[in-house]
Amino acid sequence: MAKMKFLCDEERCIECNACVTACKNEHEVPWGVNRRRVVTLDDGQPGEKSISVACMHCTDAPCQAVCPVDCFYTTDDGVVLHDKDICIGCGYCFYACPFGAPQYPQEGAFGSRGKMDKCTFCAGGPEEDHSHEELEKYGRNRLAEGKLPLCAEMCSTKSLLAGDGDVVSELFRNRVVRRQGRQEAWGWDTAYNVK
Amino acid sequence: MMKVLLLITMMFSLTACYEDTDVTLHQAGEYKGKLDSHSQTAEQREAILAKRFGQVQTDR
Repeated sequence: MAKMKFLCDEERCIECNACVTACKNEHEVPWGVNRRRVVTLDDGQPGEKSISVACMHCTDAPCQAVCPVDCFYTTDDGVVLHDKDICIGCGYCFYACPFGAPQYPQEGAFGSRGKMDKCTFCAGGPEEDHSHEELEKYGRNRLAEGKLPLCAEMCSTKSLLAGDGDVVSELFRNRVVRRQGRQEAWGWDTAYNVK
Repeated sequence: MMKVLLLITMMFSLTACYEDTDVTLHQAGEYKGKLDSHSQTAEQREAILAKRFGQVQTDR
């Protein structure tokens, strides 16, 4: 069975934030919540590196281990999802996650913390596929439509890859061999397409 | 004599610095939410998504 994984090629990411925008738009993610974000190191200096980060759908997910109400599950595709109906918004998963993936929308007049929201690998949730409830709570279920996550599909430099871990690693391995240690996002090679 | 006493005192005080290095492992509990049913099997989805990957994630 496939094990779905994200991989961001930092040599190709140009920090355009299109993945963030696509995700917000596709799933109508509420204000204050970003399921995906771009992190840049050494911003503004030559050689800066950016990567797009969201839930990494861990095989041994810490969020799943610490959840006091056991609302997390892993699908047959290796995607970590959760049931918002039983989530109590305690925040344990946020502290456990090394990527800061779980987010909490502010609810009510006093900004109390709502139910946890995170990247679903565009796989919806435990509601019926393509139902209004699924769309409302988790966003679109692109995997059930035979599509991959939108953030990766529309990445202009193909920096962000999403798919079966074996297929993704094969593609990335070929890239690394082709580069032969050269950088892809910086330098004359990029500007003048010197191979 | 004083040196020995000082050494013993230091050894006792250092014993308080011991830190347990055993990692506490937490196993995930049993999922208590609704069942997530799919119209296709995992194998069918895998084949469809692999084909899709070839269409939209090809290298440039």
